Amino acid sequence: MALRRVFAITSILFLLVLAISPLKNALRPYRRFQGEYAKLGASRAKSMQAAKAYLQKPVAIHQIWLPEFENRVDRCTTCHLGIQDASMAGAQEPFRLHPGSYHTPKDFNRFGCTACHGGQGLATLEKDAHGLVPDAEAPLMPLKYIESGCGRCHDSEGVSGAATLSLGREIMEQKGCYACHTVKGHEQFRSEAPPIETMALKTGGEALRRWLTNPKTVDPNASMPKFQLSEKEIEELSNYIFSLSPSRQMADRIRAASSEPAGDVAKGKALFAVARCISCHTVEGKGNGTAPELSTVASRATPGWLIAFIRDPHAFNPRTRMPQFNFSEADVRNVVAYMESEFKDFEAPKEILDPIRVNQTLAEKGKTLFRQKGCFACHAPGAEVDRLGPVLDGIGDKRPASLEFGKRTDLPHTLPDWLEAKVQKPGSFQDGLRMPTFALSPKETQAVVTALLSLGAKPVPHAYRSVPSTRPSLIPGGTVGALMDKYRCLSCHQIGDRGGDISTAPLTAEGSKVKQDWLVDYLTLSFTIRPILTDRMPVFQITKEQASQIALAFETFYLDPSIPEDPFLGQNPASNDPAEGKRLYDTLGCRACHILGAGGGYYGPPLSEAGSRLKPGWVFKWLKGPQKWRTDVRCPNYGLTDTDALRLTSYIGTLVKSPKTSKTARGGAR
Amino acid sequence: MNGTPLPRIGIWVRESALYRSIVRHGAADTNRNRSLVIFENLFLHMHPVKVREKTLKFTHTYWLGAITISALVVLIATGILLMFYYHPSVPQAYRDMKELKFVVDNGVFYRNLHRWAAHLMVLGALLHMVRVFYHRAYRPPRQFNWVIGVVLLLVTLLLSYTGYLLPWDQLAFWGVSVGTNMAKEAPILGPPIRFLLLGGNIVSENALLRFYVLHCVLLPVALLGFLGVHIWRVRKDGGVQGPPGPASDDEVEP
Repeated sequence: MALRRVFAITSILFLLVLAISPLKNALRPYRRFQGEYAKLGASRAKSMQAAKAYLQKPVAIHQIWLPEFENRVDRCTTCHLGIQDASMAGAQEPFRLHPGSYHTPKDFNRFGCTACHGGQGLATLEKDAHGLVPDAEAPLMPLKYIESGCGRCHDSEGVSGAATLSLGREIMEQKGCYACHTVKGHEQFRSEAPPIETMALKTGGEALRRWLTNPKTVDPNASMPKFQLSEKEIEELSNYIFSLSPSRQMADRIRAASSEPAGDVAKGKALFAVARCISCHTVEGKGNGTAPELSTVASRATPGWLIAFIRDPHAFNPRTRMPQFNFSEADVRNVVAYMESEFKDFEAPKEILDPIRVNQTLAEKGKTLFRQKGCFACHAPGAEVDRLGPVLDGIGDKRPASLEFGKRTDLPHTLPDWLEAKVQKPGSFQDGLRMPTFALSPKETQAVVTALLSLGAKPVPHAYRSVPSTRPSLIPGGTVGALMDKYRCLSCHQIGDRGGDISTAPLTAEGSKVKQDWLVDYLTLSFTIRPILTDRMPVFQITKEQASQIALAFETFYLDPSIPEDPFLGQNPASNDPAEGKRLYDTLGCRACHILGAGGGYYGPPLSEAGSRLKPGWVFKWLKGPQKWRTDVRCPNYGLTDTDALRLTSYIGTLVKSPKTSKTARGGAR
Repeated sequence: MNGTPLPRIGIWVRESALYRSIVRHGAADTNRNRSLVIFENLFLHMHPVKVREKTLKFTHTYWLGAITISALVVLIATGILLMFYYHPSVPQAYRDMKELKFVVDNGVFYRNLHRWAAHLMVLGALLHMVRVFYHRAYRPPRQFNWVIGVVLLLVTLLLSYTGYLLPWDQLAFWGVSVGTNMAKEAPILGPPIRFLLLGGNIVSENALLRFYVLHCVLLPVALLGFLGVHIWRVRKDGGVQGPPGPASDDEVEP
């Protein structure tokens, strides 16, 4: 009988145990959330009917299934019920309305949730869904890095609407990350760091020591990062650099320049201002800052080198962004004389530019260091086929378990935290790591980490990939190509998918935009089109002949097929009505930004002579949608009809410079 | 009939042609009829016609064989349920584990029940063999059944091992990588066996499919076959233990 009693009791216990699972099933948290949501929705509903609809919704698992997108199933909407419900604006989580963006709310059913937010889409329990369990692939992406999701599909450098990601990608390019790290699409990257062969004639032992210790203290604009170098290593590297000899031709050029008579400081100062050096360089922090700070340059480079470099920068460094100005021999002497007189570090020892007496053993060690530390990756690219840093493709999908935290026991074990620390202080993980320190601001760090997190392990399906819509950059060959290379148009202007971002005027459609005669005038003597900008077109002293050649090529090559030569062709003849255009100009508020005649704002370019500068086709297309030509432009899109846009176009076409006012107008704007 | 008053309807059912076609012998409580019931029934024919009460004592068996078989029944039941939710393919297998957890009603329960029943079955089988060993029940006439039992243990262990790969997680992948590499070290036959098991040279989709078929079809069928022989043999040998047969020449009676 005892046996039977034991049997009975165990059977009952067993049945109770069996009931646990169905019970847990019935009490899943999402059922409670859906109940709360129904109540909340009903209380916020505007009509009885709408309230009823909330309460009548059956409790169920909601999901976004994307068979085309890696067969993703995102069940986030099982709890986050209000993401598409406008009445849930400002409601408590998990019911709040999703903020609007370019892709939301229209593309929820195309991308799902986890594509941007990470986490486990399949899960229906909070901890699992948010990736806070050990078996989850990745935790939720912190919101400050959310734009990394944009970068999974958008390959292009700049992604409009994703400022952080775009900045991060720009910084990675600018800081030369790709010199050491392989990233798909950047295999052709070459750093613009100068070759080191002419360094011995450029700088001195003390100046070089200061530079190698920390480039940023010498030049806040330095793109070279700070390496972990001991005093001994710096000495070895210096010896190596001074043991190299430049080609005989370069050496002769520098020596010849150094024995030239001194120039005129006053003339040099005037030329320095006119040529707009600070459109790229800075002087005591004033200027664009993409090129070196010049206020101590005379304590970093010998006068002979400066003269020879300004005359022909491309002979020293074929990868430099510095244009070659059409200065005369005397012009360069004057500018360098000005720099020698003012741009000196007056606290530095006198012998800062004295060369080192080379010790061959140290130089040999320095040569090994130059390779070991990876200096060659930027200063002699192409010398080594393999990049020395780890491949960065796929780093955005790395699991925390596969990351080396080393000495950083303070960090939470997540990928974004690891990347953030790695980007900011690579040396803090372990001694002797080769990666240098880039001195990034918190904002830049956030941007770079966002860009890194956007590098997924596998590409998104083809249908989801966004191919950059920019046109491939076209550089004509022959004389014009050589001239464009000489003046380094691409250092500041964008052409198609290439070029710098200093100028606000891309050249891709320049031929459809400006009149040829105006362009010739502008190139020979560049004046300011937008007075608000500090980074202005340098005065290269381009000859009339060269300017004509360039303008003709632009007229031929840089056209946009969507811009008509004559916008009035085939349109209502009544639209060619300058008087009506003027009325529109006054009513639309163009004056708020544009100077015309005596008054107007100064944000946009003055329009006093716009008729002689711009082609009517361009004006028409611009008015129809300014953002098409440059995404960050502030000129509003008024949604003008064709007729109104043409009326304005015809009015702007009448704004030509009268022969009498032309001189003063131009002089004033300069 | 045995004189027990049955309700009229019961008698009517028992005497109907349909019932008689299935249960031929009725409930007549004679030795002959008992024997016929046992002999002519597929499921019962392996049972002895008579069982001594002594052999059913708990201390004889500790129910270890029964526990092992019960675990097997649980395994088959939950295994069939799990098969409804499982796709033996690389992109889907691990995801199905997650689906069991996240959306299948009682999915985790079925999976865990399957897992614990598997552990119980191995443990039960081992203890069962220990019990047989210490009761010296492996001796003639039961030596053949002991060997069958060893084969059953092997098949059980193989079932555990093949089931190990199916979740297709890291544990599974490396467990099977290591296991098949151990098999490879066997002389001559090792490498071909590994190739055959994995359907290739690496643990991949083919290995997953092979292990799935082994786990769900071949090994269970083999297990049921041997199990039939095993139980049938127990009955024919007169229970799980008992008076041993005549001692062989080289054996000394205790």
